[in-house]
Amino acid sequence: MKQNISTGRRQRYFAKTQVLKIALSFLILLGILVLSSVVARGPAMAADTMINCDAHKGVCSQSSGALTVSLEITPRPVKAMQDLVFKVSITGASPAEPPHIDLGMPAMKMGPNQVALKPTGPGTYEGTGVVVRCPSGKRTWFANVIVPGSGEVKFIFDVIY
Amino acid sequence: MSFIDPLYPIFLITGFTVGFGHCIGMCGPIVVSLSLNLKDKNFLIPHLLYSAGRVVTYSILGGVMGVTGSFTLVASHIAGIQKGAMILAGILIIIMGLAMSGWISFGKVFGDSYNPGSFVSKGFQRLSRAKSPAAYFPIGLLLGLLPCGPVYTALLAAAGAGMKAAGPLEAIIKGMGVMLCFGLGTVPALFLVAKLADMGWLKKRELIYRIGAILMVAVGIYFIIKGIRY
Repeated sequence: MKQNISTGRRQRYFAKTQVLKIALSFLILLGILVLSSVVARGPAMAADTMINCDAHKGVCSQSSGALTVSLEITPRPVKAMQDLVFKVSITGASPAEPPHIDLGMPAMKMGPNQVALKPTGPGTYEGTGVVVRCPSGKRTWFANVIVPGSGEVKFIFDVIY
Repeated sequence: MSFIDPLYPIFLITGFTVGFGHCIGMCGPIVVSLSLNLKDKNFLIPHLLYSAGRVVTYSILGGVMGVTGSFTLVASHIAGIQKGAMILAGILIIIMGLAMSGWISFGKVFGDSYNPGSFVSKGFQRLSRAKSPAAYFPIGLLLGLLPCGPVYTALLAAAGAGMKAAGPLEAIIKGMGVMLCFGLGTVPALFLVAKLADMGWLKKRELIYRIGAILMVAVGIYFIIKGIRY
């Protein structure tokens, strides 16, 4: 009798463990997928509200303290996966070294994509670069103009795929 | 002539950091599919071969970028191949999912025209079963062609390194080196995902295979749609 009770308990315990393991397995698989999508998406943000430059229309200007930077990207409209010319004008600072641009996506890490700028006149610089296409379909990019010793200014804009 | 480039460590670290972000998101479902398809087989060698295939494709693309020195020129030429790779990857994942679940036989998949002796059918059968670890190398070669933002960025750097090289050989090696480092950097993250999906007791559950098969079909459809719209 005692043995029967003990076997029954063991079976119930085993069944419970099985159900728990199946539920846990399902949760782990689901977790991997959810984590994948969250990680790929990056930090939550309202991309549209962050855009501060309509690069398709022409020159954009942004200030940070005394530093004012203007950026023009050609050819327009600004498309991904083609050679682009970045023209930068700086006022309020006289950098000892030419500035450079870091290109990236606010919503996703894309790796270092730097545009080296060469002086073309007093306070004006130019360089070529490429905005790559993100298969996720996201189109918002930033160009962070870094002025050595004076700071940096970020332009956030949409590109065409 | 120097074949060493400061970009190598930069892109090794980039591959590592991007791997734990972007790659887990984009390639994670593929790696999970591959792990589930292995059933009770050891995951180490197949995933090493899958990663080796991916890194070989990246390195070849890097070499081409390096010698041409133009990202946009090569990218425009490979865009069609990448679109095809994305669609093919989707089909492959769906077939692996269906074969893994055992719901549909290959006769049903290929309809009345199915010919078990044909080259295409044999090829699909081999890929879908993927019982031999060696099958994971060509899968890696193919999936290395998938369009991906950070891969494009690394290819851009490979083209830049090639432009600065003294000659064509140096340009090829520098371009390959950048992509080799980037590819190697992405391996740990995908290995971690493979290991998570390879947990022994997790893989022993029939229900998990059913759920896994549904997820694989869904991921495959997603890849095909993305490929068509790319």
